[in-house]
Amino acid sequence: MTTLLGPIGSALNKRGLTLTMALVLVALVAAPLATILVQTVYPSSSAWGDVLASRLSQNLFWRPTINTMIIGLGVAAGCVLLGGFLAWLVVMTDVPGRPVIAFMATLPFMIPSFATALAWGTVFRNGRVGGGGGLLEGLGFSVPDWLSWGMTPTIIVLIAHYYALAFTVIAAALATVNGDLVEAAQMTGASRKRILFGIVLPVVTPAIIAGGSLAFAGAVSNFAAPALLGLPVRMQTLSTRLFGMIEIGQTERGYVLAILLIGISAIFLGLGNRMLSGRRSFATIGGKGAKPRRFALDGARLPLTVVAWVICILTTILPILLLVAASLAPSSLSLFSDWTLHYWIGDADPAFARGQPGIFHNPQLLSALTTTLVLGASVALAANIIGMLIAVALTRQKVPVLSNLVSQLSFLPMLLPGIAFAAAYIALYGAPIGPLPALYGTKLLLALALTAAMLPFAVQTGRATVSQISGDIDEAARMTGAGFFRRLGAITLPLAARGLAAGLLITFVNVIGDLAITILLYTPTSPLLAVLSYSYASDGFHQFANAVTLVILIISMLATGAATLLRGRRRQSFT
Amino acid sequence: MISLDKITKSFGTSNAVSDVSFSVLEGSFLVLLGPSGCGKSTMLRMLAGLDQPTSGKMRFGDTLVADGEAGLSLPPADRNAGLVFQSYALWPHMTVAGNIEWPLKVAKLPKEERRARVLDAMEMLGIEKLANRYPGEISGGQQQRVALARMIAPRPKVMLFDEPLSNLDATLRVEMRFELLKVHAATGATAVYVTHDQVEAMTMATHVAVMNNGRIEQFDAPDRLLAEPASAFVAGFVGTPAANLIPIENGMWFGTMPDPLLRGSSGHAMVRAEQITLANENGPRTFEAVLAEVVPMAGRFLVTGIANGIRITAVSDQVARPSGKLRFRLPSAPAAIFDKQGTRMS
Repeated sequence: MTTLLGPIGSALNKRGLTLTMALVLVALVAAPLATILVQTVYPSSSAWGDVLASRLSQNLFWRPTINTMIIGLGVAAGCVLLGGFLAWLVVMTDVPGRPVIAFMATLPFMIPSFATALAWGTVFRNGRVGGGGGLLEGLGFSVPDWLSWGMTPTIIVLIAHYYALAFTVIAAALATVNGDLVEAAQMTGASRKRILFGIVLPVVTPAIIAGGSLAFAGAVSNFAAPALLGLPVRMQTLSTRLFGMIEIGQTERGYVLAILLIGISAIFLGLGNRMLSGRRSFATIGGKGAKPRRFALDGARLPLTVVAWVICILTTILPILLLVAASLAPSSLSLFSDWTLHYWIGDADPAFARGQPGIFHNPQLLSALTTTLVLGASVALAANIIGMLIAVALTRQKVPVLSNLVSQLSFLPMLLPGIAFAAAYIALYGAPIGPLPALYGTKLLLALALTAAMLPFAVQTGRATVSQISGDIDEAARMTGAGFFRRLGAITLPLAARGLAAGLLITFVNVIGDLAITILLYTPTSPLLAVLSYSYASDGFHQFANAVTLVILIISMLATGAATLLRGRRRQSFT
Repeated sequence: MISLDKITKSFGTSNAVSDVSFSVLEGSFLVLLGPSGCGKSTMLRMLAGLDQPTSGKMRFGDTLVADGEAGLSLPPADRNAGLVFQSYALWPHMTVAGNIEWPLKVAKLPKEERRARVLDAMEMLGIEKLANRYPGEISGGQQQRVALARMIAPRPKVMLFDEPLSNLDATLRVEMRFELLKVHAATGATAVYVTHDQVEAMTMATHVAVMNNGRIEQFDAPDRLLAEPASAFVAGFVGTPAANLIPIENGMWFGTMPDPLLRGSSGHAMVRAEQITLANENGPRTFEAVLAEVVPMAGRFLVTGIANGIRITAVSDQVARPSGKLRFRLPSAPAAIFDKQGTRMS
């Protein structure tokens, strides 16, 4: 750590850290965005006109936009309903098994959306686009197109993925209303209904809006689900269209779509924010109070418990089990018969799976595995080191304007759809800059983009760490005369180690499950696991795709489990 | 009038409140005083109707509001009682006026009446200017006033307070004690007030119930608690400073200084600080102590020393600061003697 900080260390005392971080953030975040804007208008490009007002714009922009909006609004509504319902059950009622439900309801976000999308296919796929049907067709049902492909399955899969976000936000808000606020209302003799509509709902409204707009932003930026479920029937969203444009070399049109996608996502996040800031801050005030008080569900207890468990199992365990079965069954029509390990460890056999060997005999997989692990680890490390330095700069050195810039820029990637962000990276670093060579097609570019994309989370971890240990504890060490690095090594790092390690692992999980950025920036010679899974799936090799996805899932689960253990009791709990 | 008859509340196998009976007249100010976990908050929640007693009966006036055996418990709103929470529990999405008005809306009062009562309540607590502010925008002391106003606007016959001053700083606390008494006097309602701060109990109460381990140790007027503590627990809990409880063994102070006045008893002898004097030389009933602290108070000094591991406090007029060792002289008779179980013997 000391050596890494060395070159920066000398400047530390003169606001140097903040300045350095501002420069890093300009290079990682601001510059790509600026470039993408400039390249679409200069020198005299017709891209904007092509996309927005030409014969092509119907297909290029308007139809994908309408699809994107429908998906975004549908997913936001579904997430708020599902997440809100579970949050209400867990926080406000006496439903049995609350801690388990609360834990399960946060898991879907850890499962990459392409895994859920693939799992959907194993059940509902029909033979229309080739590659065989799924479980339901195998059982003799005829699955209509609308349930197999396109809008409906995309929305359902994305709800199953993003409702965890809404749940977390709404449950946290509900936990603050519960207890004294509700009892104070009970003292007045207000009916349950009146308490719900007069007290509980108004207080959690900001959280509902926040949860909804986060789900919206996530859904419109998502690439995997519409690509796997929509593209086979030519349903385009802005993200798949943008991917298509860049893939066929019409980069400027792709950039325009990227800007528009960022715009749509930002408008809705901004609207959500606007509605929030118009209201008073509803942080509840003071006191130990808040002894949770639960509504007795009485007769509805059993049915609601069943519903909650079904939701949790359908969105967490079931997709994984389906993927396991589908990675073993030769025929997608009968998932549970003739199981074979061929797709995992079989040798190439011309009579089987068009001669494709099992994934562990595929040299591409092994290289993808190493690339993914190395990339994940380096990005996690880089992002968290930068995140930590930014957090230190923001809390220790308040520089007018510059601090604000650093804070805003480090949060910005959160608002940027991954695929649009990746497009911006191609725009800036795809061509040589002065003496620097073009980075397009190198792992470095991918690593840079992923690092930038992970910054908001890393800064968050860093801030939590710094705020936890700065202040008195650090001052106590300063009183002894210990220098900055001495304090960092002897006080800050030991105290922060667990939180930082957990942060590293979570970043790592996010990197290896990412498809939106990697799909545009991966190097063809050594792809990543997520990309490999996607290309298997789009070539119709579903068993292989499922097997690769499972490999990602296993690594993610191990890392997530380790992170949970490291965080120990500090994990947020609503029950 | 509030009267309780053998109220018990158990959680599982343990009793939070055991066999509590008392009654107070209408317009009284009853303080439930005790350390944390003594069952006083559970008592208050049962009075409010938020918890139900496991057994025993509770009456407000002639109305039976709870009967543990019969499983009867009137809902909070039917008890004509108001509660001020320790956290204030102001609804964060309503303005100050909105918070005060909401309970009146629930009670279906006509609009003019509501407006008049909201104004009245705000005026009584001096918060008219805050009417359109939100709870998040006002200070802790102001929030406390809003919580009080919200409680009195429906004109309850019983006012309940759950450690309402414990989140305020010392100066505000003194000021709010006065406000609370003013409100109590103006409304004539019966107040039940939970606190662990004996100063609050001594200054505000007409009656104090000192609670320990779910039981009432003593139910009395504040001055009686000081004059005639019923148990060692009460003696050590009330008073500023609290009385000294000196261990005695077989008629010997500290088990080493025989004294016929102790009549051979074992347990604790209560000696008030004002009964102990500082001695310049050894003599009968003197013992040595190591100086711990000197606190100036109202022109005199509280001198505390440690002897045999016990803190002993005396009141002294002496201006010269003692240093290092000092010598205390015991009075000719202890104010009370408690046995080893803490029960008062004489």
